[in-house]
Amino acid sequence: MKAVEIKNLDVSINSKEILKNINLELGEGKFLGIVGPNGSGKTTLLRTIIGIIKPTSGSIKIFGSIPFDAIQKGMFGYLPQSQKIELNFPARAIDVVLMGIYSRLGTFKWPSKKDIDRAKEMLSIMDMSGLENEPFGDLSGGQQQRVSIARALINNPRILILDEPSTGIDVVGQEDFYHLLKGLQKKLNLTIIMVSHDIGTVTSYVDEIACLNKTLHYHGSPLGALNDAVIKQLYGKHVDIMMHTDLCEKCKRLHSEQKD
Amino acid sequence: MQRALLTGAVLSIFSGIISVFIVLRRVSFLGSGISHAAFGGVSIGFLLGINPLLTALVYSIIVAFGIEQISSKGRLAEDTAIGIFFSSSMALGIVLVGLSTSYNVDLFGYLFGSILAITNEDALIAVCTTLFLMGVVFVIMKELYFITFNEELAFVGGIKVRLIKSIFLLSMAIAIVVGIKLVGIILISALLVIPGAAAQLLTKRFYRMVMVSCLISLFSTISGIIISYRLNLAPGGTIVIFLSIVFFVAFFSKTSNNA
Repeated sequence: MKAVEIKNLDVSINSKEILKNINLELGEGKFLGIVGPNGSGKTTLLRTIIGIIKPTSGSIKIFGSIPFDAIQKGMFGYLPQSQKIELNFPARAIDVVLMGIYSRLGTFKWPSKKDIDRAKEMLSIMDMSGLENEPFGDLSGGQQQRVSIARALINNPRILILDEPSTGIDVVGQEDFYHLLKGLQKKLNLTIIMVSHDIGTVTSYVDEIACLNKTLHYHGSPLGALNDAVIKQLYGKHVDIMMHTDLCEKCKRLHSEQKD
Repeated sequence: MQRALLTGAVLSIFSGIISVFIVLRRVSFLGSGISHAAFGGVSIGFLLGINPLLTALVYSIIVAFGIEQISSKGRLAEDTAIGIFFSSSMALGIVLVGLSTSYNVDLFGYLFGSILAITNEDALIAVCTTLFLMGVVFVIMKELYFITFNEELAFVGGIKVRLIKSIFLLSMAIAIVVGIKLVGIILISALLVIPGAAAQLLTKRFYRMVMVSCLISLFSTISGIIISYRLNLAPGGTIVIFLSIVFFVAFFSKTSNNA
């Protein structure tokens, strides 16, 4: 069974066509990057996949279920583009992680000792041990993202959806973050869909890439997306792509500077 | 006096809980809007000769959901919708009160509160309603907390966001109408905002914030009722003055700690 099957998807918001005739399939355990210029409909596509936006026409299946049923079955782990959390919001890192199991617990039941231990374990996997009781608002952007992934993963989702997760993280932090995602994909056989505007970096980590600008211009191997014709179709003009990989000299230098 | 203290204590604990969510969800103006709109409901009761609290209750619930419906469809910003309902309901209230012949002293009680003169029947209704609402909010508290943190995450996490938000809105509208007896239409928004705002200055943990907010609300209400009884002051105003003092003490102690 495919993890994601999108057929003939159209989405209009306030009579404005945002997505047109999207067809996309993704196998279980694959890491898909969705790239495209600002306003190309990347976030709308993600929000439609997770059922926040209803499509105008077409269908979406997540492991054979419609998005609403997929939500009820706890299939999604989700990181939105901006969490818009007030700095003084009264939540510790562990409180945020535990929110991930509230729905499973049911009404008027509170997290047990076992749930709290599991939340601590998730934070430890995210390299956040010792910060369980830190106020969420006091953490750095990168630490908040790690806590949010722990929250997204605590309920054992089958698919992780990330919208521009590296926003607000420095270049070295971004590299670490993508490595972390790649490791989780392999370890948990997790299907990952990640939106990013940074085509150069994303191509180094994903298995498949989808180039979106209202409609899908390309879906396939990451290297194919760097083809001049695809880039020109996507951005409307020729763009030079800078790739950041493990071999990127600048990343290496920044890494060693940070370690020093 | 005992009736007033018991009713005040129960109402203040509930407003302490609701206040936390009003402050964190940043819907203080909504609370203020609903309470002032309740004036329209009270005046309908005066005109028709039925219990004004009942008409205010129905009217406030309609206004609360009306504001939510209009703003959620994106046609108007929430504060604009509140401003329109707020002023039109007050205008309706003023016109209807002008037509009514039986308002005078009673109307003053609804505007500024009359907890010391509360009847057995009103006290019983207020206490039972508030205890029921408290139970409802306890049942949905962790879901409400998640929604307050981030609605989108809560939705994708399987929480029934619309249902929980509707229950919260309903509880808020009922709390406002029941609280009118305590501090009146004009000052009820203080009871819905100040305890939560002060508690947020004093702690960064959610359940502590709920506890501190309830304690501040309870302390101010009991102190306000006792002092106003002893010194023959207006109880509603005295309660809100106590709340304001607690808030500024918390604010300046926080400021001096950060300096």
